[in-house]
Amino acid sequence: MNQSYSTADKQDTRQAQRFSSTSIAVLTIYSLVVLMIFGSRLVSPSLGGLSQLMTVLYLSSFLVICAFGQGLVIMVRGLDLSVASMITLGGVLSTTFMQGTNEGLYFIIPGILLISALVGGISGFGITRLSIPPFIMTMAMGLIVYSVCLGFTEGTPRGFPAPILNAFMQSKVFGVALPILLMLILIVIFTTLQSYSAFGRKLNAVGNNPDAANIAGITVKRMTISAYAISAACSALAGVLLAAYANGATLRMGDDYLLPSIAAVVVGGSSILGGRGNFLGTVGGALLLTTLSSMLSALGVGQGWKTVLEGVVILVALLMLREQVFASLQSMFKRSS
Amino acid sequence: MSLITKKKHITLAAALGVSMLAAGMQPAEAKTEDGKWLIYLSLSYSGNSWQSEAANIVKALAQTPPYDETVELVEVISGTDPQSQISDYESMIANGADGIVSFPISSNALNRTVRHGCDQGVLFFMYDATVTEQCAYNVSYITSGFGENTAQALVNELQGEGKIFLSRGVPGNSVDERHTNGAMHIFDQYPGIEVVAEYYSNWDDRTTQQETSKALAAHPDVDGIWAQAGEYGAIQALLQADENRLVPITGENSNGFRLALANEEYQAKGLSGVSAGSPPAQSGFAFKLMMEMLEGQRESLPEDKRNIQYPLPWVSAGDVQLCEGDTFENGCNTFPEDKVPSSFVTEVFNPQLLPELSLASALEGSPTPGATIQPLPEDVIENAPNEPGINCRSCDTPENLYELTTVEATVSP
Amino acid sequence: MTIKRIADSGLMIMVIYILIFAMYGAVQPSALSAYSIQGLFNNSLPLMLAAAGATFVILQGGFDLSVAGTISLVNAIVAVLQFDGALGAIGMLAIALTVGILVGAINGFVVAYLKVQAIAATLATMIICQGVALLILRAPGGYVSDFMTYELTGSMSGIPVAIIIATLVALLWFVFRRTNAGRNLLAVGQDAKAAELSGINVARTQFFSFIWAGALYALAAYFLAALTSTGSPSAGEPFLLLTFAAVALGGTAFGGGRGSVTASLLGAATLVLMQKLLFSVGVSSFYTGMIQGMIMVLAVLFSGAVQFVVDRRNII
Repeated sequence: MNQSYSTADKQDTRQAQRFSSTSIAVLTIYSLVVLMIFGSRLVSPSLGGLSQLMTVLYLSSFLVICAFGQGLVIMVRGLDLSVASMITLGGVLSTTFMQGTNEGLYFIIPGILLISALVGGISGFGITRLSIPPFIMTMAMGLIVYSVCLGFTEGTPRGFPAPILNAFMQSKVFGVALPILLMLILIVIFTTLQSYSAFGRKLNAVGNNPDAANIAGITVKRMTISAYAISAACSALAGVLLAAYANGATLRMGDDYLLPSIAAVVVGGSSILGGRGNFLGTVGGALLLTTLSSMLSALGVGQGWKTVLEGVVILVALLMLREQVFASLQSMFKRSS
Repeated sequence: MSLITKKKHITLAAALGVSMLAAGMQPAEAKTEDGKWLIYLSLSYSGNSWQSEAANIVKALAQTPPYDETVELVEVISGTDPQSQISDYESMIANGADGIVSFPISSNALNRTVRHGCDQGVLFFMYDATVTEQCAYNVSYITSGFGENTAQALVNELQGEGKIFLSRGVPGNSVDERHTNGAMHIFDQYPGIEVVAEYYSNWDDRTTQQETSKALAAHPDVDGIWAQAGEYGAIQALLQADENRLVPITGENSNGFRLALANEEYQAKGLSGVSAGSPPAQSGFAFKLMMEMLEGQRESLPEDKRNIQYPLPWVSAGDVQLCEGDTFENGCNTFPEDKVPSSFVTEVFNPQLLPELSLASALEGSPTPGATIQPLPEDVIENAPNEPGINCRSCDTPENLYELTTVEATVSP
Repeated sequence: MTIKRIADSGLMIMVIYILIFAMYGAVQPSALSAYSIQGLFNNSLPLMLAAAGATFVILQGGFDLSVAGTISLVNAIVAVLQFDGALGAIGMLAIALTVGILVGAINGFVVAYLKVQAIAATLATMIICQGVALLILRAPGGYVSDFMTYELTGSMSGIPVAIIIATLVALLWFVFRRTNAGRNLLAVGQDAKAAELSGINVARTQFFSFIWAGALYALAAYFLAALTSTGSPSAGEPFLLLTFAAVALGGTAFGGGRGSVTASLLGAATLVLMQKLLFSVGVSSFYTGMIQGMIMVLAVLFSGAVQFVVDRRNII
């Protein structure tokens, strides 16, 4: 009796600690981004200004969207390797259905999201019901989806995105590009969904401890499947936007997003072992990666050094965001106060 | 050990002898059971306009009479992993291929397998990318000086002064390296030219657009862009940053880029430049050459003469001419916007070498109704210079490697 | 009990391999020639070694994405150095292994002692290694000695060198599994906390799993250089996903504690063989990926089903 009480107590404190350590992680990552944007003035005088910030935000928006899905999947202790193929699917379906007109856009986009959610759901089904490792299931699904896209388009995706989507990607309101506004809205929705909704709490519980979640009456398998479905839909949405951005789809359009989507999530302080995730951290991770790459582009160093520096920054960010570091920071803070 | 090595050398020498014998014996009569030539079309990956157009051209030619009766064409996609292509080549050789027309993934890694195939009497025709094994034919524009000529064209546009971006291809790729070395050879001669950003765009419009946007954030005052394929994305990035300012751009052959070059509104904003670079039509030329050799209409070439140059396309703003029909007629070289996507690579036809083709051939791989295969002109083969690591292994770099061939310097360094 | 041992020893994947090989031999009789078999194993070896390396890390419950970077890096180094003859090849091997072990040690240190999540840390080291590879070798090329190109891909007294190497690795695992280190590796994978309590040095075990992995990746890169007789700064990229597919095909559990290096060797060989089979039955090239994906899922389901039956029999 006594023992069980103390365990519960311990768990409570751990929960509280985890919460504040997550906030510190998020703060740290954003300070890094701000530091880097200001620091980039040293690289080039025209950097570090509003226009660079806008470019970074704009280019991050695609990554932020697919990283949300990846984050959910990682939270339930999985990994989604089908991100690249789902982006391609979104792009290919949108140019195929839209054929360069605005007709029927209202059901085409939801339709694409639904189809991809279904594909993601199948991955989730294989993982939860058939106990196929997430790695294999999502990789196989990625191969299958890619190959269907390849066969269906015979190598060349045809058609164009709807003109209105094109215009959307290029328009600005008060100097802010519309995709940035869309991203901000999505960040609010996604954060609410992940951290402040019943759905998010349940998902968190599944990630923390599936057995306990099951006992608590959470339908673990259904929650897990929905994480994969949402991830697939997010990637497809990124694909639709990318096709509108580049005015057409290609079959390899998603390739550049798989590893960055994982990197954004882990740099953002989420635990790959599940149960610890915060979307604002992920957004910070995505911004950090994009800022870094735009800064290195401007630096004019060779690709080799550029790549090395990117890796080093990720590693340093990871080292700074370790839980122990926060724990010691916290204890220092407590002692001094 | 040395014994074994020696034995290996003897075997090698013997194999070499056999292959020369085999080469002398062409045309071989190794047809498939149904009396057709078994030809493999081996691709790296399919998924961008360039790769599928090049493949479609070969597919269309193989269905054009009389090849529709005499050729069995099998398409194989190996992806981006050289090991996969090695494995696929081995399978093709084992299946009794008569010829393999291929986009090779690596210039060195396939050599051993290619040599093995040659020894079995298989004809290898590489298009666009090359291999350094001398028994394979390389049909490519790579040695035609894309990098140095476009660089000079850009320098000319900029009057020898200005900040420029380099939008490169795929990191660690020998073609990208060759182009960029050629370009830098020119840029380095002009102290007024400053390369302020260099980024990899993977020969893709979207990546070019994103990477150019990043570079523009740091250098909004750029004066020109030297680009490899994906150049249309650079225009979009410039317009996105400032819809009233464009700069001179040199790039490859996308339809969108050519239309933009000829667009007066864009010209007024500052766009000028030249469209050159890799033509998908190389695949068709390689295939027809191979078939002529297989059928005995053309002598095979000695091993040190198998690097065949495809001329560098060169279209500046003033040369852009819209095609009214579905072929390159009357010197036209660009299609109207509603016919093909902007990423469509225009150089799919060649009125002299490939009169059989039409737009449907490039887009869908279907033959042109009523067309028949026309023989290639007798003296069509132009030897390419040897370039170590590109199309030969133990050869010397020619002294005039980066000599300008297509454009002249109008500004002195 | 015997059945369980069979399932754990990777016999399932061996059965799958033999089945696919039989099918392949049936549709393509020339597949059974000595040349074809030697070629097949030469082509399989790099992936087999990479998968064997990754298995060490996965067995202790970790994850190692650095495989792609390490292979690129070592491959580039091998191609840049010019050593000839048998001695040169041995010297090169020593250098390759040193580099691989060094990368493994960095991974191991960051993951086991600095407690950074394995997937995140190895993502970073993978990117760094790729960058360094590009610094060493700017474009594919370089020099690989004739000895490596011909002897290492040839045969020794009739047996392809590739098969000998793979067998040696399988033997290594056979011995290693029976040592304390081997038992610790699996124990940590099953339950790190329990292992810690029972006195196993968990961090040390994790650290050394990365060392083994690094060494085997280096070996993979070394033989890749011999196979392609060239180096490439992006040589490792295709290995990233294939390696893990091979490990999963071999039936090793992601999350650790169950599986075997030998099974991963066979899993990798199966993946390569599958491509051959698909080619010879003439699957339309657009849909090759689809079939590959489905076979991967089916193979995992199959070995899972066998495991299930085995477990039930054990319970009863």
